[in-house]
Amino acid sequence: MKRMLFSVFGILALAVATLTPAFAQSKGTVYYLVPTLLDEFQTGSVSALELFLKQVGYDFKTLNADNKTDAQQSQMNDVIALKPKAIILAAVDFNALKPSVEAARAAGIPVVEFDRQITSTPSDFTSVAGTVEIGHVAADQAEKLLKAKNGSVKGKILQVLGDPGDPYTLDIQKGFEEKMKAFPDVKIISLPAMQWEASNAGTIVADQMLANPDIDLIFSHAAHLSVAGVASLEAAGKKPGDVMLMSSNGAPVGLDLIRKGWLNVEVEQPLYAQAAAVAMFMDKVVNKQEIKPGYYDVLGLKSVVTKEAWGPNIKIPGAAITKENVDNPAFWGNQKPPTDTVKSVE
Amino acid sequence: MNPRTRHALELVLDNLVWFMLVFVLVVFSLLIPNYFQLGIFANIIEASSVLGVMSIGLALVIIAGHMDLSVESVAALSAMAVGILFCSSGIGLGVQLHPEWLMVPVSLLLAVLVGGIIGAFNGLLIVRVKMSAFIITLASYIWVRGLVLVVSGGRSAQDLAPAIRWFGIQRLAGLPLTAWIAIACYVIFSLIMAKTPFGRHLVMIGGNETATFRAGIRVNRNLIIAFVLAGAIAGLAGWLLAIRTSGATANLGVGLLFNAFAAVVIGGVSLKGGVGTLPGVYAGVLLLSAINTAINLMGLPANFTQVIHGLLVLAAVLLDAFKQTIRQRLA
Repeated sequence: MKRMLFSVFGILALAVATLTPAFAQSKGTVYYLVPTLLDEFQTGSVSALELFLKQVGYDFKTLNADNKTDAQQSQMNDVIALKPKAIILAAVDFNALKPSVEAARAAGIPVVEFDRQITSTPSDFTSVAGTVEIGHVAADQAEKLLKAKNGSVKGKILQVLGDPGDPYTLDIQKGFEEKMKAFPDVKIISLPAMQWEASNAGTIVADQMLANPDIDLIFSHAAHLSVAGVASLEAAGKKPGDVMLMSSNGAPVGLDLIRKGWLNVEVEQPLYAQAAAVAMFMDKVVNKQEIKPGYYDVLGLKSVVTKEAWGPNIKIPGAAITKENVDNPAFWGNQKPPTDTVKSVE
Repeated sequence: MNPRTRHALELVLDNLVWFMLVFVLVVFSLLIPNYFQLGIFANIIEASSVLGVMSIGLALVIIAGHMDLSVESVAALSAMAVGILFCSSGIGLGVQLHPEWLMVPVSLLLAVLVGGIIGAFNGLLIVRVKMSAFIITLASYIWVRGLVLVVSGGRSAQDLAPAIRWFGIQRLAGLPLTAWIAIACYVIFSLIMAKTPFGRHLVMIGGNETATFRAGIRVNRNLIIAFVLAGAIAGLAGWLLAIRTSGATANLGVGLLFNAFAAVVIGGVSLKGGVGTLPGVYAGVLLLSAINTAINLMGLPANFTQVIHGLLVLAAVLLDAFKQTIRQRLA
């Protein structure tokens, strides 16, 4: 019996000894506070950040706030108590999380804003595609599509927003409408799909196609909303190409719709590059070193770091995905994570 | 009051929600451009199919004096199960059966089975272990939605097999088949509630569980059946939801539970149990859908939808209290 116990403890000790060097190699734990997991972009961000942060030597943990601001505030308090090397925050609510960001930084924990920019208080690094800029890219594409169809930039656009309580969709709307103001002959009908729920978007499309059968273009703020929109168009007897469609975020389902001829353009959020940028600068963030402004190559995308009032900010350009480039593996919607290893910026 | 007036008054009281529906449709048709057209009315009925079916199960349990908060998540899980198996894009496995029509009964059976199992789980805990229906079904509401997330990994399944999608595209008398399925469900369950001992027993249990038990009726068995039915019907709603959106996302159906509760209450079902009919619930569902469509066409911010729903539920409860007062006077 004694011999058996010794053997078991011996094996355990060996296992622990084998594991110890692995722990020693880690630079520490980084927490990612994700706003929700009911969204393919957010789910993808978890795996992308994990992949890249491990490549630069950090352990990675995720907490999901289920789109609840108060839950994310509590998570911030809990994580601050755990004293991680850094916190990556994709805020549910840009303003409500401001005190939590300040509390973390006051406790000496660097905060990195991911995807959702908080400009009202300083943070240690921000990696965004720029939600307003996504709206701008979408507007450029809408301009091209309407011009190709109607000869000039005129017509009717149905804009299907996400949940009206989500600043993310409001920013895209702001960017889109800001640029489309230049075209007075374009009428935009904007309606929100409550809680980003697909069948709500389907109902909006079905109703609007009856009330405004002359709609030229439907712009949904997420690819999964376009899927429901297509289902409603299909049920109304429409075929691919009868109504032009566009959406944003670059999810796999959007790319599938392009391949099937339903969707004309998907405005991509460069998920992999956004996550890779966080990993590239994590050492500098953790060691509180200066992040120099300038251009950086992030997974082949020319990205610019600027010094803003809220801290160093890297902006990665979003891309317009069309039938011509839909199979490019760089788009996260193609679900092919980059094989190149990310290296820390020296 | 002469008998004819009394009879007319009772008819109005019994069908108040239908009169409200007609009133709302007339007002919207007069005031909102493009509202008055057959296509819009068809949309209202079509958009009510998922909520309508889900509300049947919820109404059965509420009439029996309990509640089921899990129906929304159960529908989402059933939709995801169908989506994963029979969608060809995203996380869909694109399972093919030959002949193709076999996919219809198999997917339907799967959805109903998933719902029925969760309903049975809820029912057994509530009836046999004597736990609160509110707590048990609230827990199910949470863990079942979590399960949707686990099985989908947060990703979506799209491009449902054409044989199943056919129900969302094919029309009969201007309405998609999914809407006819919802209408058929209402007819069948209304008959069950009105004409079968099971239906009458549910109403009795909801009115007074102890008295029903003393009358020799198998209360526990009937209650478990009601919960299984609520789950299975939610599964059917999930199947319709997958058809309607040609797949499933992890957040599919979010918010349906509160709309279902609103429809049930507006439809005249008492949350205390023992009172209510399914046709009234269907009128409640159509009323909500008619208002949603009006908001879509008016271009009002959707936040108004929730305000209007809330006020409508409040109005329905007040009307219900008013109805009771008039009935007491009539008696």
